[in-house]
Amino acid sequence: MINRWLHPGAWWLWALGLGAAATRTANPLLLGLIVAVAALVVSARRPQAQWAGAFPVFVRLALLVIVIRVGFAVLFGVRVGTTDLFTLPSITLPEWMAGVTLGGTVTAEMLVIAFIQGAQLATLLICVGAANSLASPVRLLKALPPGLYHVGVAGVVALSLAPRIMVNVRRVMQARRMRGRPTRGLRAAAEASVPVLESSLDDAINLAAAMDTRGYGRATRTSPTERVLQAGLVLIGLVGIALGLFAVLGASGWGWLLLAVGLMMAISGILVAGRRIPRTRYRPDPWGWPETLTAATGVGAAVAVIASSSSAISLPLTWPTLPPFAAAMILAAALPAGLTPPPPLPWRTA
Amino acid sequence: MSQLHVVPLHRRTVAALSAVSLVGVIAFFWPFFVSPQSVAADHATDAPWFFAILLPLVVGVLLAEISDDGLDAKGVAMLAVLAAVATAVRPLGAGVAGLEPMFVILLLGGRALGPAFGFALGSLSMFTSALLTAGVGPWLPFQMVAAGWFAMGAGLLPQIRGKAEIAMLMAYGAVASLAYGFLMNLSFWPWALGDGSELSFVPGAPLSENLARWFAFNVATSLGWDIPRAVLTAVLTLLAGPVLLRAVRRATRRAAFDVPVRFETAVDEPVR
Repeated sequence: MINRWLHPGAWWLWALGLGAAATRTANPLLLGLIVAVAALVVSARRPQAQWAGAFPVFVRLALLVIVIRVGFAVLFGVRVGTTDLFTLPSITLPEWMAGVTLGGTVTAEMLVIAFIQGAQLATLLICVGAANSLASPVRLLKALPPGLYHVGVAGVVALSLAPRIMVNVRRVMQARRMRGRPTRGLRAAAEASVPVLESSLDDAINLAAAMDTRGYGRATRTSPTERVLQAGLVLIGLVGIALGLFAVLGASGWGWLLLAVGLMMAISGILVAGRRIPRTRYRPDPWGWPETLTAATGVGAAVAVIASSSSAISLPLTWPTLPPFAAAMILAAALPAGLTPPPPLPWRTA
Repeated sequence: MSQLHVVPLHRRTVAALSAVSLVGVIAFFWPFFVSPQSVAADHATDAPWFFAILLPLVVGVLLAEISDDGLDAKGVAMLAVLAAVATAVRPLGAGVAGLEPMFVILLLGGRALGPAFGFALGSLSMFTSALLTAGVGPWLPFQMVAAGWFAMGAGLLPQIRGKAEIAMLMAYGAVASLAYGFLMNLSFWPWALGDGSELSFVPGAPLSENLARWFAFNVATSLGWDIPRAVLTAVLTLLAGPVLLRAVRRATRRAAFDVPVRFETAVDEPVR
């Protein structure tokens, strides 16, 4: 297959599908399988770019989540089950700290429940980490809807300027060292920030002039009716969302309907706003069959796990069994490791 | 001295900002007023997911509205460069979350360029810095809203100048960065702890009990980082604030945001 970037949306759908599956099962075997699949695909399709090194960071964060969760269960846990393991000395905190009891008896059930709930979160974090290291952030920004074009441009410019500003910080620090000024400590950081910010602000004014001369941001004329329509859709939509949320939280039946209508109005408001910004995209990311396959395997894993596994942990504890259908669908999510085009080589990175 | 609004505060922008802030308040504070019969109470650990999907949509609508209403090339360039500075200095922060230098940039940006621009700057900076450090996750939408409020608040403070302004910004920076930590804890508290501990959220329990549990959760997890962060933000504002604020204000004067653009028909002058 020719090397090319897979659409970032496909990787995010795939990863969120696997992540949703992880939050819907309490089966540690399935969770382990999801982690294995994510790690396999990342190792096979990770591009050689700086942001692609995120996966190990997320794995470390995931392990930390499990440790914290189990630690909280030992320290603050409420007694569940009957298999006593050990007893810690216990203290009761004062009333203004919720009258929490620290320590006490720790049971095997408490530890297992905390571990599995921690492992669900950890698996989800690993899936998100996989998406972070597979999907190109700049390409994701470019795929924003036209209504967000201006903010998207600001985001793309910020992403490409940030590394240069970091280089500027280093240069200013070097100059300070050569002049015998301190380069460590708060005062040094505060003093170094002035030349860095000044040069960046000059850049901003030059950039704005360059954009203006090239005719950036010329919107087409719109009729007053269209502007009123847009403003109305957005505002009524947002108010509808807020009222819908209140109704859902207050357990009214019609809250969901109000929420859905509000969302649809607000989104169509963005679409109407996008019509004012006519633009064409230079070499858009294609959505071909590898993208469809990637997204479908992720969503398929979520559907299969939701259909055949439960997120409740049954007591007394039993050894988990592997549901064959869900396991097969999770394994199918490893297909993108071999069936998607590999990312471009480093000298062609985006 | 009156304040400069890079994004003019039309009634439309104010209405959209208020509506989105209301949705944000619900997304953070729902555990305190959810009815025990509600779906959200039964699915307390799933609700943060729902908001993590809803918030980006709502913030997207607001950013589209702000950029449509008053962001020209100069505004886009200023937004991009300040977001780039905030993104670049985020890794320099100390500690786990390490946000102090970024907070100072957001504080000064929101202060000098107005509340609506501040919200856009705060949320965009969180987004781009998450992309650059590959930190996109379910926490990101909440961070975007909280950072947007952080910068917006600096623009909404009373318009005074001189030493009093820096003192006010220091106090605001310390309080607001502490509040930021508490808000972020609140956003994942029902979800991170499950229901099996004494610090967990209890759906439908009296407000005072859940507030006490939330406070205890804050003390048990992040207060040790939040307090140094608040102090550092205030100290950095004191050290770098006055001169950086002048720099940003000078740049905005040079960019002449408040000069209206007029097109006039050219008058033919006789050529001699």
